[in-house]
Amino acid sequence: MLLVLALSFCSVQLTGCGGKKEESQDKVSITFWHSCVSSTVPALNELIAKFAEDHPSIEVKAQYVPTGDALIQKLVTAVQSKTAPDISWIHANFLQDLVQADAIYKMEEFISGSDSLSQNDMQDIFPSLLQEAKWRGTLYSLPMEATNLGLLYNRQLFRNAGLDPDRPPRTWEELREYAQKLTLDKNGDGKYEQMGFFVPVFPSSGPLSDWMVWQWYPFLFQAGGNVINAEQSRVLFNSDAGVKALTLWKTIYHELKLGSFTIDYEVAFASNQLAMAIDGPWNLPRWRQMKNLDWMIAPLPAGPAKRATIVGGEYLAIFKQSRHAQEAWTFVKWMLKPEVQALWSMKSGYLPVRRGVMEIPEYQSFLAANPGLKAYVEQLAEGQAPNPIDFNGLKISRAVAEAIEKATLGKMDPKEMLDEAAEKSNKLLQTAEKNRDQ
Amino acid sequence: MFVIFPLFFSFYLSFHKWNMFSSESVFVGFENYGSLIRSSEFWMVLKNTLIYTLGTVPLNMALALLVAYFLNKKIAGKRILRTAFFTPVIMSSVAAAVIWRWVYEPNFGLLNYLLSWFGIPAINWLNDPTAAMFALIMMGVWKTLGVNMVLFSAGLQGIPEHYYEAAEIDGAGKWQRFWSITLPLLSPTTFFILVMSVIGSFQVFDTVYVLTSGGPLGTTKVLVFYLYEHAFKFFEMGYASAVAYLLFAIIFVLTMLQTKYFKGSVHYTM
Repeated sequence: MLLVLALSFCSVQLTGCGGKKEESQDKVSITFWHSCVSSTVPALNELIAKFAEDHPSIEVKAQYVPTGDALIQKLVTAVQSKTAPDISWIHANFLQDLVQADAIYKMEEFISGSDSLSQNDMQDIFPSLLQEAKWRGTLYSLPMEATNLGLLYNRQLFRNAGLDPDRPPRTWEELREYAQKLTLDKNGDGKYEQMGFFVPVFPSSGPLSDWMVWQWYPFLFQAGGNVINAEQSRVLFNSDAGVKALTLWKTIYHELKLGSFTIDYEVAFASNQLAMAIDGPWNLPRWRQMKNLDWMIAPLPAGPAKRATIVGGEYLAIFKQSRHAQEAWTFVKWMLKPEVQALWSMKSGYLPVRRGVMEIPEYQSFLAANPGLKAYVEQLAEGQAPNPIDFNGLKISRAVAEAIEKATLGKMDPKEMLDEAAEKSNKLLQTAEKNRDQ
Repeated sequence: MFVIFPLFFSFYLSFHKWNMFSSESVFVGFENYGSLIRSSEFWMVLKNTLIYTLGTVPLNMALALLVAYFLNKKIAGKRILRTAFFTPVIMSSVAAAVIWRWVYEPNFGLLNYLLSWFGIPAINWLNDPTAAMFALIMMGVWKTLGVNMVLFSAGLQGIPEHYYEAAEIDGAGKWQRFWSITLPLLSPTTFFILVMSVIGSFQVFDTVYVLTSGGPLGTTKVLVFYLYEHAFKFFEMGYASAVAYLLFAIIFVLTMLQTKYFKGSVHYTM
């Protein structure tokens, strides 16, 4: 409790200072809150330097805020105490709170404003990203970068196990089979020193809860399922597809005895103790730095229905408390330029938000030299975003997280757990329905 | 100002629905309290808090008395030992919890390494539903042992030497002296420590937040963590305030009960 308060006070003071430090009067300074992981921070600094080159009259001050819970908490406190940043990167599930608090602008005001963004530009952006940037059909943010999930694997461990490092698992069955082959008890003490695959099970009440759910959704898609219907009246994750996806997780989790393995999969992978994991492009700079790690990215294995991955992104929202909303828009618009998107993607590992970037020759040659990024970019085509959940999204995600945790770690029946979560979620959707009509 | 206002405001909020963003809050009467009592999760959380309290308080008090008793004797290096036992108290609890995360780490952790010397297989302390609460309790004891040790030391030094001398002349042995003199005369201190420890362990939050964040399977979700979740994750300020006031009521009743049942056995003089 104290900690949270202390943190929010810090933030208030930091932004307070940020505002005062405007050096000259003709130079406008805008604050930008982000949650870039440490390995992408150098890329962000380069990006901001580039912006300063293009727009010498605007200074962007980037401030790091830990992602997820911490970010939305800080935004809420900042809005309440009138110290909101000019721009913040947000996640789709923050929109309900921010819009209901009347904290952020509708993007339409800028897109068709004096410094407009053309229809061509808008149509070039991936529709699934624009869908997530909206709340109840209205655009409140624009994507800064896209992400999806792929299969990160250790080529050396593949070779050691007699597997072809250029032929990663392509189906669920292969994933299971490979995972077992790559799981080794080297000294015969009954404990695995090397883990074949990491099933991401985290405490459902913890900060990694949404991240766990987000990694489970592609498996749901691969089995032909979906999260929620388009009308947002009923959840669909407890379908047969959901049961299949959760059963797969449960099976692998127990076959590999993941319950006694660390949940810090990045450390385990970096120390050659983990052969395969689900991972996202933001970690590419981290793996690139590790010269003695022979890693690669593959598309996620196909499920019984199809190949699929989940697409998401981070979105930029402009706050109504900003005194320089127009300058903030300049940054958002600049961020969407194809060449800036290409630069950001090459440096940070994040994926471009618009198709046009693929036609830039420099980007093409970069992809050819970086097969890891290329695997993610190619997957964009089969990427799927869950239908939006405008109300109670966080609570529904929590219900799914509890089902996953109970079925895997708690050894409960996947179908029963998903049904229970669905019942809870449908109730939440009904109360939301009532509130909406008021 | 910073204490009184939130105190009353949260009481007011506990009868309202408010999400922290909107300017108005809706009066709902006792609905927050009602749904709290009906929620099965609340009872689970209360049970977890009780387990934590029952796990930490007696263990902590027994160890603190033991340490204080021996450090009260003339032994070499007692200042250093006292400092060592007290250090965890002044350490930031978040920093301490980060250290303990490494101690409990299943693959490279110190604790599993030590246990492996005795042939005990590795335990995933923080991710095993049966071990996680135990892990929290151990850290809780470690963290607050120092305070109670100092309080007990002060209590021990307050016992006049001549009681012991008289008892020795009467032929009382070591144990008899401890049971008939030390313990009864220490009882005001013991009572104070008991009340404070119970209150403290009902309010445990930061170590839970860093070590287990309520997991696995909600086995370490305690009351204040539950409150935090509703206040700052789901922004249900009214509900969270109701949790806070219920927590206050529980602590209040517990303290009254302790006063009622233990006050009789508190001795200020022989």
